[in-house]
Amino acid sequence: MPDMDSALLRKKIEHIQSLPTIPSVLKRISGMIEKPGISLQEISTFISNDPALTTKILKMINSAVYGFPGRISSVSHATVLLGLNVIKGLLIGVSVFEIMQKSMVGLWEHSLGCAVTARIMAKKKGVPEPEEVYVAGLLHDIGKVIFILEFPRDYENAMHAADAEGLTIFEIEKRLFHAHHATIGSWLAEKWSFPGNLVEIIKYHHAPLRSRRAPLEASIVHLSDILVRAQATGFAGDHFIPAVDPAAFEFLSLNESDLMEIIKEAEDSRNAIEESASE
Amino acid sequence: MKKILIEHLEPGMKLARPVMRGNMVLLGEGTELESRQILKIRAMEIAHVFVEGSSPPEIPKAELLAQLETRFRHVETLPYMDLIKDVIRKHIEDLYA
Repeated sequence: MPDMDSALLRKKIEHIQSLPTIPSVLKRISGMIEKPGISLQEISTFISNDPALTTKILKMINSAVYGFPGRISSVSHATVLLGLNVIKGLLIGVSVFEIMQKSMVGLWEHSLGCAVTARIMAKKKGVPEPEEVYVAGLLHDIGKVIFILEFPRDYENAMHAADAEGLTIFEIEKRLFHAHHATIGSWLAEKWSFPGNLVEIIKYHHAPLRSRRAPLEASIVHLSDILVRAQATGFAGDHFIPAVDPAAFEFLSLNESDLMEIIKEAEDSRNAIEESASE
Repeated sequence: MKKILIEHLEPGMKLARPVMRGNMVLLGEGTELESRQILKIRAMEIAHVFVEGSSPPEIPKAELLAQLETRFRHVETLPYMDLIKDVIRKHIEDLYA
């Protein structure tokens, strides 16, 4: 098992961008999203220049989730209808889909479940950019992907240990790697110049009120993560549920019926995604 | 939303997705089906449509509830975790209602 210091680990993680396993499209997309004042036209050209990306985007948009089943055939039509933020979210979504599916069985389902739940919760809490929270939900566990890519055998052992000891993977990571996936994910997000809020939400999704610029968004992803695990949607590395941060839960001030509504709506939305994926 | 065979359509069901012929919407999303519309759908060359509501889960309810207990085993005495567990339990029961 590794017992390395945090500085060495960070160095290793930061060099991960030279690995062929990280899709280069994700790097280009993160640069694209960071660009201030980017226009719909530019983003639409960017997508259209990549046939594989175009196909994936159109497939996702034409699923029932976005309310245009089978009716959108061009990227420019899609960007006009859906707007910049939704398209940005979709771009990140399609680009991490493959890498997540390859690294841990169930992680994509877990992440998508978290994203869908977080978007609904964000709307309920009046967050100005619910799509940003959706993207954060999709990417909150990106650190686990990095662990698996960099330390496949050790991470597998970590998952076994979590199972055997009845602990969450988060606790085992801290013990074995002296850093957990939230930190690792945020290092990479910073390195790739993801938007500041996104970096913070990834970093603090297990301790949301430590976030200075996005405590509400981080709390939403924190609780969504727990709700999705509680329903056993997908797999995130262990079979147990982390405890909710009580202060974050109070900060969100959602009552039982709010939570019921969110879960119900998220389930409908997820079913829609699965239905369209199986066609 | 659930996908159902057209022979199982019943009046009162609501379309969760439009019924299309090519690019033309024949019946819009949200349409509450009446008998004559069901006949119209059955006359078309389609096998299934999407209606509102959820399909019952494949796993037996008792098993799902037992799994819930296991997942919460270490945290249920911590603040608010009983509330969260209760919400999920009710949600599971609703799925089978």
